[in-house]
Amino acid sequence: MTSDENVNNTNEEEVSEIAVVDSLDDTIWPLINRVLSSVDVTPERGSIDLITQIPRSDIIRALQILKDHEEVQFNYLRCLTAVDNESEGVDVVYHLYSIPKNINLTVKVNLPVDDKTIGTATEVWEAANWLERETAEMFGITFNNHPDPRTLLMPEDMTDTFPLLKSHPFAEIEILQGELLGYDRENQGDDE
Amino acid sequence: MVIESAPDFETQDLLINVGPQHPSTHGVFRMILEVDGEIVKDLIPHIGYLHRGAEKLCENNDFRQGVGYMDRTEYLASHNAELSYVMAVEALAELEVPERAQWIRMILCELNRLSSHFMFLGAFGVDVGVFGTPFIYAWREREALIDLFEEISGDRMMYAYFRAGGLAWEVPGNFEERVREVLVSTRQGMKDFDNLLTRNEIFLARTKNVGIISAEDAIELGMSGPTLRASGVSLDIRKSEPYMYYDQIDFEVPIGTNGDVFDRYIVRLKEMEQSVSIIEQCLERLNDGPIMPERMPRMLRLPEGQEVYIRTEAPRGEYGIYLVSKGGNKPWRLKVRSACLSNLQALKKMSVGQYVADAIIILGSIDIVLSEVDR
Repeated sequence: MTSDENVNNTNEEEVSEIAVVDSLDDTIWPLINRVLSSVDVTPERGSIDLITQIPRSDIIRALQILKDHEEVQFNYLRCLTAVDNESEGVDVVYHLYSIPKNINLTVKVNLPVDDKTIGTATEVWEAANWLERETAEMFGITFNNHPDPRTLLMPEDMTDTFPLLKSHPFAEIEILQGELLGYDRENQGDDE
Repeated sequence: MVIESAPDFETQDLLINVGPQHPSTHGVFRMILEVDGEIVKDLIPHIGYLHRGAEKLCENNDFRQGVGYMDRTEYLASHNAELSYVMAVEALAELEVPERAQWIRMILCELNRLSSHFMFLGAFGVDVGVFGTPFIYAWREREALIDLFEEISGDRMMYAYFRAGGLAWEVPGNFEERVREVLVSTRQGMKDFDNLLTRNEIFLARTKNVGIISAEDAIELGMSGPTLRASGVSLDIRKSEPYMYYDQIDFEVPIGTNGDVFDRYIVRLKEMEQSVSIIEQCLERLNDGPIMPERMPRMLRLPEGQEVYIRTEAPRGEYGIYLVSKGGNKPWRLKVRSACLSNLQALKKMSVGQYVADAIIILGSIDIVLSEVDR
């Protein structure tokens, strides 16, 4: 990356930060803020949908409010997954949709690396059942009180390996060949 | 021999294992049925036999290479699967897709919906017990569509034709002609199916009021696509959140009333008619022009700390791509939201209390693609 590009990038970031501060009014944030007034919510502008950060202790209660509240009615769970942020823990991500109101919301919960437990959203939507089973086996997250905590895609006895964590190697060949493979994650892809 | 049974005489429920390798499971799907006589009392699905870690593979390959993996997740509607992926990359890279590329994409996606639904009709006919005829009819029509795809992309199933920004190359010169030609045979094929199945008394007896799921349950279980619309929920992403140029196109969203197996069949058949009409409207608006943006970087690098969830209406329902970028030329996280996975969750609710033979039809009516379920 050249120095010119660096300058450009920082300029863009500054502009976007300023934009975020005062431009959430054109999203559904005022509505969500009103509905979730009893919960500590941090909003953020996403590419398409509004993203909200909710602390782990409140998450199931907040999801239940979002589903039941008449003004939003998020009755459809589009997707549930997780993102491994390495040292910053794991984000559990819920993509909600309201069929009556036609609005979308992304809800994120950050879990620390050493304590990846969270309540289960199956209490709110039945759809979360298999999605949580998959997320659990792929990221090593424990969903408390899950009605069916078996593995979904992985073999039944494979409960100590979490393939989608960044610490898990891409392929066994990396472990076997190690440095011989010349696998350098930082510079990967730069040698065009 | 007469057995004198005591009043507390008990029968034991029988466990039947169906699959993983069984023609009626449409791939490598296994379910354990607990039956009392002919009635299904419990159903335990087992999936994961086809898990190849497509998400992890995508995270370790650059954005251009991911298109190929999307083909392999949803092999009966590869164009639709590619579409979600390239749209996600375009949203983060802020690429403007040229108009011509968008129209061609729409035509191909709808054609792929037709070929996928033909596959459903054929396989479903076999499930119901109309052996042979629908399957051959469906194959004949699907062959015409696949030939067209092959002329365009060079491959019959794994097209890898969409690119972030547009299309890989220009369509052949006789594209419009060929599409219209294929639509003629497709129309006839749909009529044949209508005549063969829709009013067939045996077909009706086997499919009506079987495997009913209510609209509330369907929404609660996260079902989508024709399987959800059969229950009377008018949710089609092409209508509710239009992408590409679907907002400029005039089409209807067929819905069912009962939420039974027959509705799931008829909704798909009606949907095919709408697809044909959409393709014709697209052909009228197809103009000459570029198929890739003018300033296309050789190596795509996405901005840091961005994420997007793109959903499109694939033949089986909502095919979603959740893409997280932390800079560089690879996705940090790529999640494929599979429509079949969520639809398959409802199988137990639909099948319990039904006959064993009907459980097979119910599974067929969901129209699963196991490689999309397992990814």
